[in-house]
Amino acid sequence: MPTISLQRDDLEALIAGPDEKPARIPLDQLEQWLMLVKGELKGHNSDTGELRIELQDSNRPDLWCCEGIARQIRIKQRGSAISYPFFKKPKRVAGKLVVAQGMDQVRPYVAACTAVGYRVTVSGLTQLIQTQEKLADIFGRKRRTVSIGLYRLAPIVFPVSYDLVKPDDVRFTPLGMETLMTLREILMVHPKGVEYGGIVGAHDRLPVLRDAKGQVLSFPPIINSREIGEVRAGDDELFVEVTGTDLSMVALTLNIFAANLADRGAVITPIEIHSPVKTGFGRRWSTPIDFGAPRTIPLKAIESALGEALGGKEVTSALKSYGYTVKSAGQKVAVQLPPYRNDLLHTVDVVEDVAISQGYARFAPVMPSQFTVGGLSRLEQMADRVRHLMVGLEFQEIISNIMGSHQDFCTRMRLDGTEWAKVVEVDNVMSLSYSCLRQWITPSLLQVETNSSRAFYPHRMFEVGEVAIPDASADVGSRTVTMLGAVIAHAGAHFSEIHSCLDLLLYYLDRSFTLEPVDHPSFLDGRAGTIVSNGRVIGLLGELHPEVLEHWQIGVPAVALELEIDRLLEEV
Amino acid sequence: MDNLHPLESKVLLALTRQPDAPPTLDHLAESTGLEPSQLSMAVEWLLAKSLIAVHAETVAHIASLTPIGELFFEKYAPIERVLSAAREAGQTGRRLTIQDIQTKEALEPSDVSKAVGTLKKEGAILIVQGGCIESTGRNSATAEAMRSLLQELRSGQRELTSISEPLRSVLQQHAVKRGNAREPFRIDERVTRSFLLTPAGQEVAEQLSRDGVAEEVSQLTPELLKEGVWRTKRFRKYTISLRAPRIAAGKRHPYREFLDLVKLKLVSMGFQEMRGTLVETEFWNMDALFMPQFHPARDIHDVYFVKNPTHARTIEEPYLTQVTQVHERGAGAGSTGWGYTFDAERAKRLVLRSQGTAVSARRLASGASVPGKYFSIARCFRYDQVDATHATDFFQVEGIVLGADINFRTLLGLLNLFAREVAQAKEVKFLPAYFPFTEPSVEMHVRHPKLGWMELGGAGLFRPEVTTPLGVSVPVIAWGLGLDRMAMVALGIHDIRDLFSADLEFIRTMRGSF
Repeated sequence: MPTISLQRDDLEALIAGPDEKPARIPLDQLEQWLMLVKGELKGHNSDTGELRIELQDSNRPDLWCCEGIARQIRIKQRGSAISYPFFKKPKRVAGKLVVAQGMDQVRPYVAACTAVGYRVTVSGLTQLIQTQEKLADIFGRKRRTVSIGLYRLAPIVFPVSYDLVKPDDVRFTPLGMETLMTLREILMVHPKGVEYGGIVGAHDRLPVLRDAKGQVLSFPPIINSREIGEVRAGDDELFVEVTGTDLSMVALTLNIFAANLADRGAVITPIEIHSPVKTGFGRRWSTPIDFGAPRTIPLKAIESALGEALGGKEVTSALKSYGYTVKSAGQKVAVQLPPYRNDLLHTVDVVEDVAISQGYARFAPVMPSQFTVGGLSRLEQMADRVRHLMVGLEFQEIISNIMGSHQDFCTRMRLDGTEWAKVVEVDNVMSLSYSCLRQWITPSLLQVETNSSRAFYPHRMFEVGEVAIPDASADVGSRTVTMLGAVIAHAGAHFSEIHSCLDLLLYYLDRSFTLEPVDHPSFLDGRAGTIVSNGRVIGLLGELHPEVLEHWQIGVPAVALELEIDRLLEEV
Repeated sequence: MDNLHPLESKVLLALTRQPDAPPTLDHLAESTGLEPSQLSMAVEWLLAKSLIAVHAETVAHIASLTPIGELFFEKYAPIERVLSAAREAGQTGRRLTIQDIQTKEALEPSDVSKAVGTLKKEGAILIVQGGCIESTGRNSATAEAMRSLLQELRSGQRELTSISEPLRSVLQQHAVKRGNAREPFRIDERVTRSFLLTPAGQEVAEQLSRDGVAEEVSQLTPELLKEGVWRTKRFRKYTISLRAPRIAAGKRHPYREFLDLVKLKLVSMGFQEMRGTLVETEFWNMDALFMPQFHPARDIHDVYFVKNPTHARTIEEPYLTQVTQVHERGAGAGSTGWGYTFDAERAKRLVLRSQGTAVSARRLASGASVPGKYFSIARCFRYDQVDATHATDFFQVEGIVLGADINFRTLLGLLNLFAREVAQAKEVKFLPAYFPFTEPSVEMHVRHPKLGWMELGGAGLFRPEVTTPLGVSVPVIAWGLGLDRMAMVALGIHDIRDLFSADLEFIRTMRGSF
């Protein structure tokens, strides 16, 4: 998941907390602590103090920032959750935010708060913007579900309204531009309008955030106003809003921002949201909001999943020192996540947090004790027999990629326009060289021959590997077949050479067969045949057509064999 | 003496027959009856062994025709053609310029001007007003010499000394020199050496004539064995320190050997092999693994989608319904679910299998044994730029373990076993990890004998949201091993694409140390 960049000093200060003096944390100590957040230290620049950390957990967006990482570590050190007063029912709100009628059809939800008393530094601003971008991009699915706006609080006159307006009715100067523009112009001209316009652009009326004086704050989720919506280093009064399509994701995102700003010393004051329709939070609520609920879990469920009788006391302390609110009652624990998390889907999520909090080293490995019989599938056994016989026949085994080009699998083999040219093709092709799956092995081996004219002759090569054969009767539109392909190439290579190999191979596999002439464009006419066994075609062989060799720029004659290993498993 | 090649013996013996007149190569060829190439080989060997020495070395100059000379013989030399053109013009009274000769005779301008110069000097022609040429009627000594030289050398090369003046100086004038290749003659140096036996050679040769050479053979044959004739023969000793000639073996691919070994280890630990298809539905590749349909890793930039058909016709019930319910509300699995509307059409979308876990999911649904252990070595496809660390398709070694005794600690125990058996690692570290389908999840790092600490694999307990809809009620470990790096070290390569190399010489010479 995301890799973020942060400053070592900043991280150390946040880990120490507002009341403690920051101490230098050795990098190996830091790496240990990063286990708490499933983080991996990817890089460290000792000149600039920059740390690059990759965060694995896609369900923990609160950890995709310096504040979140520091918070998880600090909680572990103090042994209990940090209490944020603004999540409790507020005595006072900073103002109202009124949602317009009809917004439920466009971008229904909004959450906001004010943050006062933290003077934004240059590096602090960099972190705020990074968090804003990572959350909107990854958690918010490129702003579709969630987007975030930061503003200078001072010019804003409450109540703020979350309005719907016609695209030509409202004009403001967006960030990155010098002139007033209508919403329509922004969608057409502004880089962010072009990039994100698809999210709301199809609606007749578009969302804007405006204050009581009619000043535009932003056109969510596209762009902020240049006047109010540009936070600079030195600002110490901020307004934060989140809009989106998922009520709990919108609320969670604001909670994360509120906690982050509080950790940096800001006082957070809630905003009261007024909705024209009933939502999961009712018609009127204030944000940030703690919308989590306690969940009661039998102690036994945690203990049996971990395989360790930890007892209520250890479980309680493990979860508390991971940020949970915990009440222990006999054989049960009631747990609640901190408001900046919303990733408790199942008891197992709590189980893992107990294990992470205690450290995986706390749990002694135990060997699974139940007896099972190992073995290979019949197909793999047959494939191995064939491979061993081919080695005995003095062939060198090859492993090739299954993905390749139509050019190699069909065109160069003279198969275009024939039934043999049906292949599984990829829709979202990245490179023409890798646009389909091979339907036979021979082209893979000819690829080797093309590259190997300087390797001494004769060349005898085989591959036992998977191919995909389009088949309308198959559930997934194609059959995966394990196939033997073999090629002999040298100045005197001819049909009877490969024929003898096939003959001996099938003799040892106790399979009788006949060859039936086949008119196959890859082979010389009259020198190719299908291999028929028990009334079914199980493969083919022949002398490759000179034009095929020319296409591959191969300068010696070559003969090829293809045999479906799957068919060898069928009862005779 | 034991090391004498039969060719060498022949030459030595021939030399003893001519003690007074040291023979040249030509003489030796006659007396031994050997091919020139065999003879010169034998002579060089004997010289190297100091059994013979060079008696005398004479240098002869040999004159011969060049291809230009052959041409002159056919069509006459330019000097003759110029002279006869001048005479012909004299008889008919026509005026003749150098240009006319060039055009008429189709000669190179340089050849014509050279011929004219010589003829004028010899007084055979005059150059009169207007650059016209007139014959004086006198003969040209050069033209005559040229004619007889062309004739003589046409019948074979001659030693320069056998050609008398003034022909010799004409020949030398018109021989190929540096900077002028357009000449009819060439003169080559030929070194003739004569040989005699050294005292050591004398000794060996005497021994040879005493013992005879007929008995030595190089190859034991069925004929020699048949009548016991081999008893009367001596077998030439070989120089066995020479490098052996190269041959090619039939053999397994070294990467496949490595994978075969992994396969063997897993089977010996009680794992059953599973197989799947290269093309999968999103349902089995992702939905069944509780990856929400909005998950970032399901993006168009992460998975290859199939062009035609785009969708499977159906998804097996009751799995479709049960997976839908668990995604939407967590129904049945004690979960809240993801809380979104599951798109059954999306579930049918066909993709190239992007993770081996798809094979495990199908196994769980089609009835896995309890207790049970399964593995697959499945080819998977990721939407990545191909480079030194990303192949277009690659093998994933994955599997599952089902059992009533499965929990977090037995998961760690199993990983310990893998570390010991597959990586021969004694030290293991377990780190918290994230996979969408497991909780808790573990990343296993081992101390590899060569690489130091490295990630060996990831594992976890399947979320109940994965197992319950597929009808499995016991805990299940899902594990995957990242073995490519280990394979690359074992094979001594640094680019993952080399595991799938198309270079036969490379594959023939690659070998593993595992």
